[in-house]
Amino acid sequence: MLDWQGIVRQRLSGLALDPAEKDEVHAELAAHLEESYAVFCKQGLGKEESARRTMEQASDWQDLQRRIIAAKERGHLMKKRVQQLWIPGFLTFILSTVFLMTLQKLGFRPRIIGDGPNTILFYVPWLVSLPFVGALGAYFSSRARASRATVLLASVFPVLALTAAVLLMFPIDMVVERVIGNHVDFSIVATDLLKEGIGWLLVPGAALLAGGVLAHLFFSRRPSSQHMAIGSETTHA
Amino acid sequence: MIGSGIKRGTAELAVLSVLQDGPLHGYELARRIEQQTNGALRFTLAALYPMLYRMEQQRWIRGSWETSTNGRRRRCYRLTPAGKKKLSPLRREWAELFRALERLTNVAHA
Repeated sequence: MLDWQGIVRQRLSGLALDPAEKDEVHAELAAHLEESYAVFCKQGLGKEESARRTMEQASDWQDLQRRIIAAKERGHLMKKRVQQLWIPGFLTFILSTVFLMTLQKLGFRPRIIGDGPNTILFYVPWLVSLPFVGALGAYFSSRARASRATVLLASVFPVLALTAAVLLMFPIDMVVERVIGNHVDFSIVATDLLKEGIGWLLVPGAALLAGGVLAHLFFSRRPSSQHMAIGSETTHA
Repeated sequence: MIGSGIKRGTAELAVLSVLQDGPLHGYELARRIEQQTNGALRFTLAALYPMLYRMEQQRWIRGSWETSTNGRRRRCYRLTPAGKKKLSPLRREWAELFRALERLTNVAHA
């Protein structure tokens, strides 16, 4: 009796999938070959000839391996993106927003820097909390084995979302003001944008990023048990 | 030479059509397609499984492990509601293509 499972496992040893998924593929392909071999034998072919014909079904195992990975990766990419960026990103966004709203409800006054119209508002307790929020986003993103860039993007996600909203609102606001006949001085709008940008985007972004960088440095130094398992498997192969 | 897009399209149509009759495992699926097309469509291991996995990712089919009466464990594929939905426009597109080709070849012979 031929060990089809062993044959498939050996030929597709480089299948870069999760261990459980890899085992499933091996088992499924082995079952196919086993069935094929049994049918050839039933048709009266000798064992050697049956085995040869069965193996002919996959002449290029490297190509098969590549095609399986490509087929499986397509769906995984989307799932990975959700786990590595969108979920941690939205978590940081929701946490930072809820915390800011709570501070405002509790009556915390912002710290005002500057004079007259050139003032910038800072919610100091909120800014102090942001490195922790950024670190949490980075932790979840790191746990989903994201790249460094994705981890940092997840940690500064609230600021990115806010920047996108500001960039979208600015031209719309200008057009609306024009339509309703209000004369808007572009320099005043630009100054306001700059002030708001510093208070709501630049400084919070730096706070989030600081937490994200520290968390990433901390978690990237700790090898996960899963990584160690993969490493030992490769050595044995 | 038939392009890979056309080949893929016909193969997907074949798989969806055969699975409409009920769930099947990979080997049986390939055998049925070969039988029903009088050997015109033949799947090797290398062609069949990447396609099944791709169709599974697209949620047209769903695979699950089942144990047959002889105790063998097989991964059986069944059509999903999305796959059923995909089947009728796919059939229509291919029927249109074949009719167009038929008209074209008839004109060429005339």
